[in-house]
Amino acid sequence: MGPSWKDNHALYLIVVGAVAWLVPGGGHFLLTERKRAAIMFAFVVLTFLVGLYIGSIGVIDPVNAKPWYAAQVMNSPLVILLGRVAASGNYPVYGRAGEIGQIYTSVAGLLNLLCVVNAIYVAHQRTVEETKA
Amino acid sequence: MTILALPLLASFTTPMRVGTDPISMLWLLPLVATISIVYKSTKVGYIRPLPFAKETAGLFGSIIVFIVVAAAILYLLAWAVTGPVPALLDKSTF
Repeated sequence: MGPSWKDNHALYLIVVGAVAWLVPGGGHFLLTERKRAAIMFAFVVLTFLVGLYIGSIGVIDPVNAKPWYAAQVMNSPLVILLGRVAASGNYPVYGRAGEIGQIYTSVAGLLNLLCVVNAIYVAHQRTVEETKA
Repeated sequence: MTILALPLLASFTTPMRVGTDPISMLWLLPLVATISIVYKSTKVGYIRPLPFAKETAGLFGSIIVFIVVAAAILYLLAWAVTGPVPALLDKSTF
């Protein structure tokens, strides 16, 4: 029970974390927390899209704005693809709109990071409780 | 479908016009609302509409109050640094 249980437990947590990163709210959906997952998905995705709409996809800048990009990537790995599209094209980004867009997309990413950590924590807690019972 | 989708996608490739007037500060409200909702969704035990809305409204209000207080303190500091303090340090006043 010892080593194999630990291995499975770690794998389970990794899967929950990966799904939560891939799709905002996905980790909680796996844990059958449907309402929570729906709220997380709706608001993280909406905030990210509003940020892109305000500042254009040029706000995802993996070359000149690395700290912001690091926060934006927390939304989903799909942001890496968007970053490549933004880097290959000539998308204008300037002024207040650029700042607000960058803040919105980055805050959405950090909120998703919070959801990922919470999903992993809930999954861990449940497994521990099930093992004790 | 394509006729509808193309202008929508194109709107994501150019920035919006956002002024630098005080009204543009209102852009923080949707962001604070989102932060409150997502944070509370990770914290509450059971999600029921009314208690969840109350919890979220409480956090939203406290963040806004904190921002307003911080803005007022910074405004007073900026006013003091650019107005009375240089005047006091001016040798001609002694």
